[in-house]
Amino acid sequence: MPLELRRALVAVTLVIVVVAVLWASRFDAMPPADFSFQNGTDPKTLDPHRATGQPEGHILFNIFSGLLEALPEGPPDPETGVQALTPQPSVAAGYEVSPDNMTYTFTLRRDATWSDGVPITSDDFVWSWTRMLHPETACEYNFQLFSLPYAEAYATGVVDVGDRVEVELWDRPGETTTSEANPQNFPRGTIVYGILKEIAKPPEPSLPENASKELISSTTAKWQSSWVYTIDVAKRDADDILWDDVESVETFASDLDSTLVQPDTRRAHGVLVAFDQLGAMETPDPYTFIVHLKDPLPYFPFLATYYPLFPVPRHCIELHGKPMWTRPENIVTNGPYRVGLRMLRDRVRLVKDPNWFNADSVEVETIDAMSIESANTALNMYTTGELDWVYDQPITLIEELKGRDDFHVAPQLAAYYYELNTLRPPLDDVRVRRALALAINREQIVQEVTKAGQAPAYFLVPPGIAGYQSPPGIDGTLDEAKALLAEAGYPGGRGIPKFTILYNTNEAHRAVAEVIQQQWQNNLNIQVGLQNMEWGSFLDKRQQKRFDISRAAWIGDYPDPNTFLDLWLSESIQNNGSWVNEDYDRLLAEAASESDTTKRMSLLSQAEAIWVDEVPAIPIYHYVSKHLVKPYVNGFFLSPQDQHPLRLLRLENSR
Amino acid sequence: MSVPDGPPSSAPTATDAVVGGRNAAVLQQMLVEARDVRGVSLWQDAWRRLRRNRPAMWSLWFLVLLGAVAFAVPLLPLQSPLDKDLDNRRFLAPTFGVVTMGSRPGLQFVDGKLTAQLASFEGEIRDAESEVASISDDSERQQALAKINDRINVEHPFNQLWNQLGPISFAMCRVRVAIFGDYAIPSIFGTDQLGRDLLSRVFWGARVSLIVGIVATLVSLVIGVTYGAIAGYCGGFIDAAMMRIVDLLYSIPFIFVVIYLVTFLGEEKVKAKLESVGIDQITIFYIIIGAIYWLTMSRVVRGQVLSLRQEQFVEAARTIGASPMRIVFRHLVPNVLGIVIVYLTLTIPAVMLFEAFLSFLGLGVAPPDVSWGLLLNDGVEALSSIRLFWWVVIFPGAALAVTLFALNFLGDGLRDALDPKMKNR
Amino acid sequence: MKRLVGFLMRRFGWMVLTVWAVYTVSFILIKLAPGSPFSAERAVTPAIEQQLRARYNLDASPLRQYWDYLFGIVTRGDLGWSLKLEDYSVNQVIAEGFPVSASLAVFALVFAIVLGVTAGVISAVYRGTVADVSMMATAVLGIAVPNFVLASLAILLFVFLIPIFPAAGWGTLRQVILPALCLGAPVAAYVARLTRAGMLESLMREHVRTAFAKGLSKRTVILRHVLPGAMLPVVSYLGPATAGVLTGSLVLEKIFALPGMGSHFIYAATQRDTFLATGMVLVYTVLLFTMNTLVDIAYAVIDPRVRLE
Repeated sequence: MPLELRRALVAVTLVIVVVAVLWASRFDAMPPADFSFQNGTDPKTLDPHRATGQPEGHILFNIFSGLLEALPEGPPDPETGVQALTPQPSVAAGYEVSPDNMTYTFTLRRDATWSDGVPITSDDFVWSWTRMLHPETACEYNFQLFSLPYAEAYATGVVDVGDRVEVELWDRPGETTTSEANPQNFPRGTIVYGILKEIAKPPEPSLPENASKELISSTTAKWQSSWVYTIDVAKRDADDILWDDVESVETFASDLDSTLVQPDTRRAHGVLVAFDQLGAMETPDPYTFIVHLKDPLPYFPFLATYYPLFPVPRHCIELHGKPMWTRPENIVTNGPYRVGLRMLRDRVRLVKDPNWFNADSVEVETIDAMSIESANTALNMYTTGELDWVYDQPITLIEELKGRDDFHVAPQLAAYYYELNTLRPPLDDVRVRRALALAINREQIVQEVTKAGQAPAYFLVPPGIAGYQSPPGIDGTLDEAKALLAEAGYPGGRGIPKFTILYNTNEAHRAVAEVIQQQWQNNLNIQVGLQNMEWGSFLDKRQQKRFDISRAAWIGDYPDPNTFLDLWLSESIQNNGSWVNEDYDRLLAEAASESDTTKRMSLLSQAEAIWVDEVPAIPIYHYVSKHLVKPYVNGFFLSPQDQHPLRLLRLENSR
Repeated sequence: MSVPDGPPSSAPTATDAVVGGRNAAVLQQMLVEARDVRGVSLWQDAWRRLRRNRPAMWSLWFLVLLGAVAFAVPLLPLQSPLDKDLDNRRFLAPTFGVVTMGSRPGLQFVDGKLTAQLASFEGEIRDAESEVASISDDSERQQALAKINDRINVEHPFNQLWNQLGPISFAMCRVRVAIFGDYAIPSIFGTDQLGRDLLSRVFWGARVSLIVGIVATLVSLVIGVTYGAIAGYCGGFIDAAMMRIVDLLYSIPFIFVVIYLVTFLGEEKVKAKLESVGIDQITIFYIIIGAIYWLTMSRVVRGQVLSLRQEQFVEAARTIGASPMRIVFRHLVPNVLGIVIVYLTLTIPAVMLFEAFLSFLGLGVAPPDVSWGLLLNDGVEALSSIRLFWWVVIFPGAALAVTLFALNFLGDGLRDALDPKMKNR
Repeated sequence: MKRLVGFLMRRFGWMVLTVWAVYTVSFILIKLAPGSPFSAERAVTPAIEQQLRARYNLDASPLRQYWDYLFGIVTRGDLGWSLKLEDYSVNQVIAEGFPVSASLAVFALVFAIVLGVTAGVISAVYRGTVADVSMMATAVLGIAVPNFVLASLAILLFVFLIPIFPAAGWGTLRQVILPALCLGAPVAAYVARLTRAGMLESLMREHVRTAFAKGLSKRTVILRHVLPGAMLPVVSYLGPATAGVLTGSLVLEKIFALPGMGSHFIYAATQRDTFLATGMVLVYTVLLFTMNTLVDIAYAVIDPRVRLE
């Protein structure tokens, strides 16, 4: 290389280094928010219909307002400082319930608007709930509306001959009859209504027995797309569908290459029950919203306070599509705060929305939800004053924190348990399951491992649900456990097949698993293996039922035993342990259609008694929520649902 | 500058040659002298140089000692590395308080002593055995004996204190109990979050960490040396192609592959399949790590071989018809061993650090196994401004740091000793 | 110049090949890995899972997916949508994370080289003194302590004991210094050792002796004649150093809550975020390849005997 070139390259390198350093040290310093809190993992999405976790919840509850809002009511419990949250008016100024608990009439506020000034009407709710249930939205929480007639059939795409159905033609924006599907399910294509007369299906493709889940679902989907539907298309007048007046008989299919297609078959996205036309929801005027239920759910108002039922801005979604509509520059909200800024894995900044109907009551102007996963890091930031509220502290330090004034603990509606795969030996034997459950010293776990005041659990449903009394829990001595084990054919722990505890990677779960491992070894001579996995793989392994024992936890979706008990319905997709009990299923079904609260609770309690008896899972403890909140923060309420409306916060000036 | 210490000079000097008449005698004397002189091989030479390097020698002794201790851990009077005394001994600062093996009430040992429990258990087994001996029917007796064996496997008190001891470790534990009885060294390193003795965990962790380091390095050695030697010997197009592949692999972020493989191998089916051929997860772990660290090794070896293959001894071997394989592995590889050994002492630390890194991500060994990486991860968890449990991080950290220190010094020393360029310096 | 251009062209060709190979391997790995990217706490029904698959083109045949995705990357530079961070495309994730990681890496590397070379030169020049021994001991310590331990200790020391840095977070220069120091420390230690060894070797060279004999000042000799030769091993270490810094940043991002790319990388791999994982691997591959190429050029610049080929 010639000398000049070398010199030049040296010079260029130096320049590049200098430029790089200058570039790297250029920061737009952001003014700190008035209030910052630890928000765990980065929120997955800001779409209320796609969100699931706690970090998403902390943001969604504050940028959107539902019909009702869960707010603390009554004086705090003198012992624990906990205040129950009850559904109180929000976008709905009030509501009436029919005597049979089946019809709710919500009256909406007239001054409720979206953050861009567009008024919120009852049609927004109809549209939002329809979107939430639409199969292509794939909302994980869609079951929360399954108490509405036809909702479940709509969400799962089940149609039968004779149903009143809707057909979405293949003409979404940008689609031609031969093009690929536009993944944007809203705005929708032209909708045709009618009564389903016939479904012509080609022969079902046969699959090998060991076909993977993926292959099964894709083959099934392909097969279903070749179905041809024959429909009596209904006439429509100005605003009604005349279901009984047949305008024409037409056929529809989503795959026009299907062998059964006729020359005039039209291409359509699918045929669904016409959920929004069948009277589940009514909008007599823009400010009245009537909901009809098929079961008398006493907890329906609670569901209305939860974000999956929140309204979403139709005009914004139809303009930008998903997922672009949730970008900070596009999103339109209707809550006390709006999204000011979103930096991936760093923070979501919430800014007070002056357009919100009750904006005067909101005091804190800006809030940072910081995406910080490490408990140690969060604690460090709290100590140096960079955070004002931390809800996940290192378990090694709980004892030190417990004595402090800024540390608050409240019982939470959540259970920590070990799920047992009841199909695999030796766990298919109820005696072994019970022996394992009896050989755990829960007092030791809550006092020496988790330490924050968790309650040892001998039954499933956490205490504190009004009107519900859990049955007596799992009870017995170690000798009884040994006797049960011997009775099952494993005297002294001999000959028991080896099994493994699966848990997701986390210091606290590891500690609990290690202690239980020791307790079983010491008490029953049973050696168990431990295996940890990242959250995603962990969930997958559980759902495919490829585990022996799995750590599990459930946070109540609403304050009712049903949210815990229905996990073990034989048909529940959450029933990873494959436990089946007909009496249990029957009791839960009876409870669902029971409108008398006392009777209903007693039915649920009977079901839980069966659960305790059969031990499909080993309860370990009931959670507490743990909060470190700076002393200058007022208006931070402790509740069993562990929700904390940020708009109620008040900051003292003396910080 | 130090004195060169090559073989003593015995070359004939000019003056000898001038004296013509005594040539024969001189030649005779020279031959005798030459026979007496013993050649000094490169290795002896290097060893002599290494011995003069104090830090390197200390490191060497330390590492030998560490290896021996790690092997003999079950023999040492340590506490159980996994028995958790949650009720009384969580986060105990280093202490000299006396500990009796098996005294924790939760263990339900006879008299709260391991020896007493062992005696009672062995008594029971003896009783059972004598009972069995009285059985006349042969097959029935075999069955009963199998049952007793089963019982020993499941109920032996050692199971409560140690995790899945192999036959050698089991025997060592027995010897330990015979020698030391219920005595155990007090928790001079303190105890951890769940009340386990840190001293014994550091020692038991040394086993895993060292094995990971050594085995993985050996794997990398085998792959790297073979690959590099072949590339270097073949030269030309093959060399270019093989080195391009190495370049290509250099650009792959391997951590990603590791994470993927570790999760993949953790799968139940895969694990069961591997276990059926006698490979457990931790072995795979070594192999994966080893399979990553061979790249640099292969480059180094290739460079050396490339310069060596022009040497005369290679030509000579070729002339007498040695096969290429033989030339590579019999003649070339031994000549690059020096640099390979130096490089080994540098790879082991890297692998041990990598193990710690994986533990930090929760992808390391699974409890009740323990490694230094896992201990450090636990230690870092307990490190905060609110309360400092310094001992849970300092002791495992020091153990790792001292070991890596020693390996580094030894590596430096070996390089100085083996590198011809550094000779005479 | 011609040779340089030719070299760069050839290297670019290799890079394309490498990236393609990496893409293929990671695609196969991801397809082989068990588990679905759509696992959620509330199990989804097969119908919904199928919808989700369709949305991300995961319902096509593997070969089709392979080509479609490759086609998207080549023609549009489009790495697809993240499966877990639903609101973001992989390109956006990288666009947000890259500046953070890059700033951190630049600081760490510059710091490591400046500190490492200075320490190495000093300890070589004053070989055998207390300064030399203590500096080299510190350097070994830097290599012998895992960086998550180092970072935790540094936080205790510089955030709580001597409060000069904030505990974590991103956004100001003050926040970047501590993580960059921790990230650069092992590299600095290595560079110091390499510099020292290189310096000692060049000090023995004839041309250096000649320079001294000419009566040049010690300073001039060391800076002009010794240091460039001693830099060769350091330069060749820069490639692996970049890899080390990128890997190390995974840990520091976790401890200091930094919104860099490293954490995405781990998550994507462990959470089956197919597209994000592939995108990340490709970005890292390009980065490493570029760095290795730069190192080769630098080698040729410093050592006239080296030819680029």
